[in-house]
Amino acid sequence: MSTLEIKDLHVSVTDDENGEGQEILKGVNLTMSTGEIHAIMGPNGTGKSTLSQAIMGNSAYKVTQGDILLDGKSILELPVDERARLGLFLAMQYPAEIPGVTNVEFMRAAINSRRDKDDQIPVMDFIKKLESKQDILDMTDEMSERYLNEGFSGGEKKRNEILQLLMIEPKFAILDEIDSGLDIDALKVVSRGVNSMRGDNFGSLIITHYQRLLNYIVPDQVHVMMDGRIVKSGGPELAKKLEDEGYAGLRDDLHLDVKLTDEI
Amino acid sequence: MRANLIDKYKDDVTSFSQSKGEPDWYKKVRLDSLEKADELSLPKYEKINYRSWRLDRPGSIDNSSANEFDRKPQANNYIYQAGDQTISMNLEDELSKKGVILTDIFSAMKDYPELMQKYFMTKVTKTTDNKLTALNAAFLNSGAFLYVPRGVHLTKSIQAMFVQDNSIDRDFVHHVLIVAEADTEVTYLENLVSEGSGHKNKANIVVEVIAADNSRVHFSALDQLSKDTTTYLNRRGITGNNARLDWAIGFMNDGDVIGDFGTDLLGEGSHTEAKVVAITTGEQVQGIDTKVTNYGKHTIGHILQHGVILQKSTLTFNGVGHIVKGARGSDAQQESRVLMLSRKARGDANPILLIDENDVTAGHAASVGRVNEDQMYYLMSRGIDEKTAQRLVIRGFLSSVISEIPEKDVRASLTQMIERKLVYGQK
Ligand SMILES: Nc1ncnc2c1ncn2[C@@H]1O[C@H](COP(=O)(O)OP(=O)(O)OP(=O)(O)O)[C@@H](O)[C@H]1O
Ligand SMILES: [Mg+2]
Repeated sequence: MSTLEIKDLHVSVTDDENGEGQEILKGVNLTMSTGEIHAIMGPNGTGKSTLSQAIMGNSAYKVTQGDILLDGKSILELPVDERARLGLFLAMQYPAEIPGVTNVEFMRAAINSRRDKDDQIPVMDFIKKLESKQDILDMTDEMSERYLNEGFSGGEKKRNEILQLLMIEPKFAILDEIDSGLDIDALKVVSRGVNSMRGDNFGSLIITHYQRLLNYIVPDQVHVMMDGRIVKSGGPELAKKLEDEGYAGLRDDLHLDVKLTDEI
Repeated sequence: MRANLIDKYKDDVTSFSQSKGEPDWYKKVRLDSLEKADELSLPKYEKINYRSWRLDRPGSIDNSSANEFDRKPQANNYIYQAGDQTISMNLEDELSKKGVILTDIFSAMKDYPELMQKYFMTKVTKTTDNKLTALNAAFLNSGAFLYVPRGVHLTKSIQAMFVQDNSIDRDFVHHVLIVAEADTEVTYLENLVSEGSGHKNKANIVVEVIAADNSRVHFSALDQLSKDTTTYLNRRGITGNNARLDWAIGFMNDGDVIGDFGTDLLGEGSHTEAKVVAITTGEQVQGIDTKVTNYGKHTIGHILQHGVILQKSTLTFNGVGHIVKGARGSDAQQESRVLMLSRKARGDANPILLIDENDVTAGHAASVGRVNEDQMYYLMSRGIDEKTAQRLVIRGFLSSVISEIPEKDVRASLTQMIERKLVYGQK
């Protein structure tokens, strides 16, 4: 079993215009283990993506206080590629497009980066694995032969993120709005993919705005984030309550002094 | 004062010509060019200074044969040369029956004097263009001739492997002449590669392509001249009416090189796409001047150059699009982009548009930038280490030219060459 611990995490971003740091995360605490699925919900702009980027190690996000521990060891000093090789994976809200590099080649490089130089994955093994994962996601070879995310539709990009997840088999996967822009069939397919990973050696942190996704991927815990903090945690029923009552209700219940973006 | 070239080299050039059994007309071309070389000046290119390379000072002209290397191309129709020796070549019977000619330049002078006198340095590049083209004619010591007679369409590519040898002390003065007569189609791939070590040499290479009316010529080149080879590399072509001449050049040399590329769009409705990828490493300097001139009406000239600069090297791209008066309805577009991977590298992308006609379209884009951070982050977030990720992003950046090359295995060799050069440059 592995654990991922977020302790009193404070994260700032630097404003491009005035160069001043702005604190986005203001003390996040969260612990999860493999075998568990956690969901994070919260209004726009509260820091959900910031949390995911800080865990992964995006250098645009500066940790000013607190720690991130994988199996008890701090990973704050590690660059993004080392964190990935230790078992972290982030399905991004906006994946980059890379022309000239095929999906297949990219996934092979990613898998081989986790193996010894003289123990690279045999081509046949790779192809077999790829085909079985493509099947789960109703994907064709055609897409894997294309350049990485180039010209992919929004939904295709999301599906491709999940294909990478299945190929790489990380310990912990953070899925940032994997459901946004998916039609209902694609939503089921993507959920099937994530569920196929479920087991003792896999944990996931799912960021979403919609309770619907959680009908397909049933979480063990739901956390609500507001203004850079986790303000409430509970079981799957918390997501349903939010869907009915909205964030303003929860905020008022908790007597929080937070302004929501869509309030006038 | 230095002795005149003609006084200094007349005897050597004459005896070299005799040793090759050359016809008198070519011996005369050599001596006339040698004489003219004294008055001509070095070609000038915007923002590229190569005076100190001494490309205008020939070494000794020598008849010693080069060594053999294991470089035979994997193709049905090919010519393979090392230095002035043709190691092997093949042209399918079916093609020679149709009148296709593929031979070394010395045999061409002897066996096809009419064609050679008609086309050799008379239509595309002239001996009088500049000092270096004059020296090319005067000191020529290797090369090839490809001729595609009217109406012949070649379905398979013709490949050439030219090895320049640094295990001996000798200039590589090379000339390739390609003539595609009217209504023809040909795909040609050229490999320029250095072998051996121990000597520093100069190379003066001129390639001429004549794409006559309604012909389609696709020219690819993979250039890998070594650190010890300082080079002037001139590849130019002309087009007849409705002809199409495309270039895809992989500039992967390790030494100092001037590349002078381009097309004169003479015929009405003719079209050229000139694509270049270049990588510079170490302390080398590569300057590439790609020039397309629209003379004919309704001609299309597009230039695309992408380059990557590592370590302390320098890469300059000039893109010159010139539409002359009268070339109505023509189009000149160009894009030059350079990625800098090191603070000690120097790079430049200069778009130059010269438009002397009103009824035309023209445009340019140029940039000097760094590796895209979002792409790097994305790749590294999957576990790929920084250097590998960088090579993948760069490959993507260069892919617009790589994907232009018609054969799959040639694309693969270019990709490999890029990988090799980048790994070397990342040290
Ligand atoms: N790289 C950045 N530079 C500047 N500001 C940023 C950056 N990333 C995030 N922010 C700011 O931090 C705040 C939180 O953004 P974040 O993307 O984490 O929100 P989110 O909870 O994921 O919202 P959404 O639900 O809309 O995706 C926002 O105000 C955003 O503008
Ligand atoms: Mg977000």
